[in-house]
Amino acid sequence: MHPSYLGVFLTFARNSLIRDMTFRTNFIIEAISSVSWMIMNLGFYTLVYQFTPSIADWGKYEFFVFIATTMFINSLVQAFFMPNMQELSELVRTGGLDFALLKPIDTQFLVSLHRVNWSSLGNFFVALLLLAYSLPRIEGLQLSPWQYLLYPLYVFLGVWILYSVMIGLAATSIWLGRNQSLYDFWFYITNFSRYPMEIYDGPWGTPLQKFFTFVIPILVVINVPAQLMAKPLIDADWWLAGFAILATVFSLIASRWVFKLALRSYRSASS
Amino acid sequence: MSAIEIRGLRKSYRVYQKKEGLWASLTGLFHREYREVDAVRGIDLDVEQGEFVAFLGPNGAGKTTTLKLLSGVISPTVGQARVLGHVPWERENSYRRKFALVMGQKNQLWWDLPAQESFRLHQKIYRIDPTEFDRTRDELVDLLEVRHLLGQPVRELSLGERMKMELTAALLHSPDVLFLDEPTIGLDVIAQHNIQKFLKHYQQQRKITILLTSHYMKDVAALCKRVVIIAHGDIMYDGSLAGIVDRFSGHKELTLQFADDRMPSDLARYGEVLEIVEPKARLRVERGSIAEVLSAVLANHSVEDVSVEDPPLEEVIAEMFALTADQSRESRDANRQPAQSVTQSS
Amino acid sequence: MHARVATWWTILKICVEERLVYRGDFALGTLMRFLPIVTQIFLWSAVFVAAETKGIKGYSSTDVIAYYLLTMLARAFSSMPGLATGIARQVREGEIKKFMIQPIDLVSYLLLARIAHKLVYYLVAAGPFALVYYLCRSYFPGWPTPEVFVVFVCSLVLSFMLGFFLEASMGLIAFWFLEVTSLLFVYMLFTFFFSGHMFPLDFLPEPWSTIVDFMPFKYMAYFPAAVFLGKVEGPEMWQGLAIQTGWVLLFIVVCRRMMHAGYARYSGYGG
Repeated sequence: MHPSYLGVFLTFARNSLIRDMTFRTNFIIEAISSVSWMIMNLGFYTLVYQFTPSIADWGKYEFFVFIATTMFINSLVQAFFMPNMQELSELVRTGGLDFALLKPIDTQFLVSLHRVNWSSLGNFFVALLLLAYSLPRIEGLQLSPWQYLLYPLYVFLGVWILYSVMIGLAATSIWLGRNQSLYDFWFYITNFSRYPMEIYDGPWGTPLQKFFTFVIPILVVINVPAQLMAKPLIDADWWLAGFAILATVFSLIASRWVFKLALRSYRSASS
Repeated sequence: MSAIEIRGLRKSYRVYQKKEGLWASLTGLFHREYREVDAVRGIDLDVEQGEFVAFLGPNGAGKTTTLKLLSGVISPTVGQARVLGHVPWERENSYRRKFALVMGQKNQLWWDLPAQESFRLHQKIYRIDPTEFDRTRDELVDLLEVRHLLGQPVRELSLGERMKMELTAALLHSPDVLFLDEPTIGLDVIAQHNIQKFLKHYQQQRKITILLTSHYMKDVAALCKRVVIIAHGDIMYDGSLAGIVDRFSGHKELTLQFADDRMPSDLARYGEVLEIVEPKARLRVERGSIAEVLSAVLANHSVEDVSVEDPPLEEVIAEMFALTADQSRESRDANRQPAQSVTQSS
Repeated sequence: MHARVATWWTILKICVEERLVYRGDFALGTLMRFLPIVTQIFLWSAVFVAAETKGIKGYSSTDVIAYYLLTMLARAFSSMPGLATGIARQVREGEIKKFMIQPIDLVSYLLLARIAHKLVYYLVAAGPFALVYYLCRSYFPGWPTPEVFVVFVCSLVLSFMLGFFLEASMGLIAFWFLEVTSLLFVYMLFTFFFSGHMFPLDFLPEPWSTIVDFMPFKYMAYFPAAVFLGKVEGPEMWQGLAIQTGWVLLFIVVCRRMMHAGYARYSGYGG
């Protein structure tokens, strides 16, 4: 008999909401801060587009769709996974992980989702507004039902890829036992995913682009859904969309493997 | 069939050998020397269904490690164990639904939420039938007298109240085996007593199997008929509480009350003088010679009152731990050289 | 004798190796901080290619990159991680009492601690900084005149002081409002955007560029970098340094006043 994972997840979400509501001021501050952070980012790109009509073939409104996609994916990752990954090392330190290991439910599921940071979803709505504002302003863009269908799917896949990178890093730090700075890698690595992949060009850029597409597939996270929406895929890009599915499956399997390895070492190393 | 069967269970882990000094700690960040430590060294134990067994031992004796092994949190280095027919570290969900672990120093309830929300989460995780869940929860909170606190955030509860909530959470899925690690640590006398009363009642009613570790001899005396003493990863004693004194203490305590102004000055010849508060004196006398000493005292002095008692349990146990610590240090020193060379070559 | 020398030699070698590994780890962390600059380089290269221009508001593409590299250095002086939140925590948890009875005041103590902290950091981070600057030497316009260099160094030291006293003042607000997280967030947002950390402030259109001139933030990243690159020259440069000094003096006074007022308020409440 398997526990009802959906039921457990909904209870996590509900409990987190109750908790967030008891610290209401904090909740509002967090929501506002993450939104204003993104608005500032938007301000920066507005400024940049004062000086150029396009960046690597992305026009201003196309790029805004790119930013909206970044916001969708980041807000989902921050809402569902980030607080849990930050807590994981704390759980290891305080021994709280022991309790997670006792429960008749998958441990990775439990530690990945037990807290939901609702305030981060504020950006999700800002992203919706931004998308609605930018899409009609892109010249010559004809939206087909396919795009509306595939866009959320690829946003979803992007979230899973980022999650895999995140839990992979978090698990590795359990495994190594001491390296806290591994977690910082996450920010530095994912930083690369926030730009159109076409900007990585030239003798240094091309290898970088290949690395972050095929080895750590974070460049497909935002690029694929954003291209799909803002610049309906030209023939050459269909392989990339197919590859994104493959990359997601592969990342999830790899991160699960690392997580299990980390747990095994935790079990044999602690007393 | 026994509820718990342990054969040759051993758990060793590597600890970082910390050195003193700034230089050493700086270099230690990278090149670390490890030493193998046995937390549990090959224990055998059988516990029958419905027994309430206490694990006693000094800090670091391996009690908590044993409980963690039996609950499958950690895997052993070698050895076997079966709890209710399951191998704990295989961590089948069917096993995980049958037991619970409560640790007095750690809490698993959501800190900022009322306990009832954590209970509901438990219901989902353990898939407890809703009517069954309501019934069990009501029964438990009434027994523990915490119903009125269900809606309060856990962080606002006192330590004792929090422990009661932890116990409730652990028992919601009606486990057949319960592991309690220092459940009364840090509690005041009244709260300790309440928890003891509850555990005793619950265990008698449900006939569940409980393993308890505790520092408070009162917990043990109130609850457990069987006591297992662990020190340095080995089982030193397994039997009744009263048996500990017979086995480990060769002494009795003799209290004498002398008639007015007749306090003898040479009491030391009868035994070790523990305390003199005129007109009373307390002596420690070898168990075998107690009759002899008593008749000699009565013959030579005018005594108004006499009592002969076993020494306090805490003292006996402390004495025993001190003894076993010496023994095990000797045996460890003898083993140290080869153990260390193995570590460094690996 | 020979054997003993061999043993010493081995021990010495191992110790040096260990030391190097330790340094290596820390240095790696510092190098990672330059990663976001890599993406900035690609972004701005793409912008300059698309805009088909040699310069934006007087900045060539190499100037922009040199600017980012220099603001990293300025931020290494002016950023004060954990200072304001630390003060707020001490006030909230009553640890501040310790300073009210000891013969050293809070701000002086924190300043000394911060200087020590920064010195150790510079000692270790000097290597990675030098390495990156050496690798990127072609982006720099060359060594400035001794006069400019002196002003540059002075402005870095002043930016440290400005950063310290400004952020300490923010933290001291905790004497009046216990929950200062939101204020600190606004402060962080301002420093990030208006210090010039995100882009050269010269790019800002009116009225923003005038507004920025009247705020202290630009002296925490933009000003030192602009001085080095010769974007502010001659009398304007000296004037800027004077204004920076003015801001520092102002915040020293503000900080001390606030501390004493805070003490008075705190003891008035009876702790």
